[in-house]
Amino acid sequence: MEYILLVVVFIPLMVSIFLNSISTLLDERLTTFITINGALLSFSISLFMFGFLLLDKFKPISLKLYTWFPDPEIMFEFLLDGLSGTMMLLVTGLGLVIQIFSTSYMSGDPRYVKYFVYFNFFVFSMLLLVMSANFLVMFFGWELVGLSSYLLISFWSEKKKAAKAGNKAFVLNRIGDFGFLIALMMILNTYDTFSFKKVFATTLINQPENLDLIVVFLMIGAFGKSAQFPLFSWLPDAMEGPTPASALIHAATMVTAGVFMLVRISPLLQFSELSSILIISIGLLTALISAFAAINQDDIKKVLAYSTISQLGFMFIAIGAGAYVAAIFHLVTHAFFKALLFLGAGAVIHEMHHEQNIQKMGGLKKKMPMTAAMMGIGTLAISGIPPLAGFWSKDEILASTFANGGIYYVFWALSLLAAFMTAFYMGRHWLLIFHKEPINKIDDVHEAPKMMTRPLLLLGIFSIFIGFINTPFFHGLEKVLHYTLLDVEVTHLPEGIAVVILALISIGAGFTGLGLAYLVYIIDIFSYFKFEIPFIKEVKGLSSNVLYLNKVGHTLFVQIPKSLVRKVAVVIDGLVIDGFVNGVSSFFYKSSKIVSVTQSGFVRNYVVYFGLFLLLLISLFIATPLIAL
Amino acid sequence: MIEVTTDWYLSLGALLFSIGFIGMMVRRNALIMFMCIELMLNAVNLTFITASKHFGTIDAQVAVFFVLVVAAAEVVVGLAIIVSIFKKQETASVDILRSSKG
Repeated sequence: MEYILLVVVFIPLMVSIFLNSISTLLDERLTTFITINGALLSFSISLFMFGFLLLDKFKPISLKLYTWFPDPEIMFEFLLDGLSGTMMLLVTGLGLVIQIFSTSYMSGDPRYVKYFVYFNFFVFSMLLLVMSANFLVMFFGWELVGLSSYLLISFWSEKKKAAKAGNKAFVLNRIGDFGFLIALMMILNTYDTFSFKKVFATTLINQPENLDLIVVFLMIGAFGKSAQFPLFSWLPDAMEGPTPASALIHAATMVTAGVFMLVRISPLLQFSELSSILIISIGLLTALISAFAAINQDDIKKVLAYSTISQLGFMFIAIGAGAYVAAIFHLVTHAFFKALLFLGAGAVIHEMHHEQNIQKMGGLKKKMPMTAAMMGIGTLAISGIPPLAGFWSKDEILASTFANGGIYYVFWALSLLAAFMTAFYMGRHWLLIFHKEPINKIDDVHEAPKMMTRPLLLLGIFSIFIGFINTPFFHGLEKVLHYTLLDVEVTHLPEGIAVVILALISIGAGFTGLGLAYLVYIIDIFSYFKFEIPFIKEVKGLSSNVLYLNKVGHTLFVQIPKSLVRKVAVVIDGLVIDGFVNGVSSFFYKSSKIVSVTQSGFVRNYVVYFGLFLLLLISLFIATPLIAL
Repeated sequence: MIEVTTDWYLSLGALLFSIGFIGMMVRRNALIMFMCIELMLNAVNLTFITASKHFGTIDAQVAVFFVLVVAAAEVVVGLAIIVSIFKKQETASVDILRSSKG
């Protein structure tokens, strides 16, 4: 039974290798056939496995595949519990839907097959990450998703921007991975094992002294992968990749790997007060900064990218507040509505002939009614309007943060602000694309093909209903994660009337945000004011430049080190190293010039030398008296 | 009657070797130089045999056989080289061949 886990993980890898090895023989139809059927197969097996788990009340299934080293025990082992089961379904399910969308979106691309090779490779890496039963296997998956993300971001590498964005993503991820790697070494040193089960069991009995440090380094890994402050600037750039790939990797699954990992290590996290505070503060900071940045972006995908960062910030807030179920819940709902929004954006970009500036769009709801409706659902869902998915999860995060009390009231208020901003910029996004009268007349735009709208419809339906898996009335997801969080203290919703009041407040924030967006961008309320609003230009500039963080980062971490290194290079490399190397070579060159005079090229001269040395030898022979003849 | 002692043979060997050596130094014709080498080799052989006779052992005579075999092989290779040199430059002078000049 356990071996079916392997099948789920390795089908995408097989598909990837198979497509790659016969890529020259394949046309688009055949590729589509293979990849869609592969995805369908792995999704059905995932469903089957999940059903099996469900019948067994989510008791973890583990598979020890191979022991690499016996002592300290390092194994290739896999684990299927509620947490990895949920992620498995999410990855394979969304993978299937997005691949269907991709077949239409990528159609006509000269490297159509390669795209699906990378895509399937990503699905494999992500499954490896989520199904791992120890830190090492997780790290393998962690690195491989980074690689496939890099490959897909710079998929159109002939565009210089895309190639650069890929590099940036890779390098910034590397900083996070470095933290993960240090944490791995510390774990092995402290616990003598990588296995989650043993590490958690040991920690429950007595906590090692360097637990804080381990968790902080793991957290840095999570920040890199999940694009949290200050490692977030790669995600907006990553939008250079194909839109469906962005939908799966940079919105729904890969970037949530950090959240997944922190929930996975929640038994460690609960003992580390320091990192909880760090996580919630960074999450909050990220949520606010990126929500602020999203308000004034003009690129249809960049708005969504900043929104993704902001929503990931919410998940980190949930983790910091100890509401692990809420974090995973928001991860799941976010995956659906953000994939929906991205695919919708993809459809718009596709029909607008690769125009991505939302200022140049407008009035598309008449031309693309289906896309408009589905993106509307996505917008409402992310804004937290009940009864759509986003409402339930976001409200659970907010309420759980509130339930902690003390300083967490402040965190709650700031998160509420971020939620309000979310509604505002998402409202702006939808209104500018679909509702506002266009500045220039847009002709020649039609509804996207069926292969695009059908996945949208499916995701739209999910975005409405997926929230019902974990409501205050039905704790579905909590039951799913029961075994995963067995020994973990989870923050729950506050009791009684407080929940309702908090919910009403956050609904209010959502509606206010959307309404304000309508007032500002459609009715243009500012034009009715008689006076200039002070600093509006500066604020706009700050927003569209993301508080100039990118520029500051570029100066601090690229330009200054670059000029420093250049100076060092001149001194150390030029004078010391080159001097040494050149000195040695010139010494031998000069001395050999002197000696080479003796090499006349006449054989008889050599014979003379030979004779002279012979004489020398003989005279030595004679001069040494004690040679007995 | 003068008795021919070991010293005479050794002196003859030294004389032959010196002639060969001086020949190597002063002559330019590759063929003559080759003959000088042969002369030196045989001078050494003579010395070996004299020593063998003087000490009453057979070791040195074995060494002579080795030298003869090597000399035969050397003649084969050396003559072939000299012929090809001659074919190339129509003289057997070695002074033209100076590519090993430093």
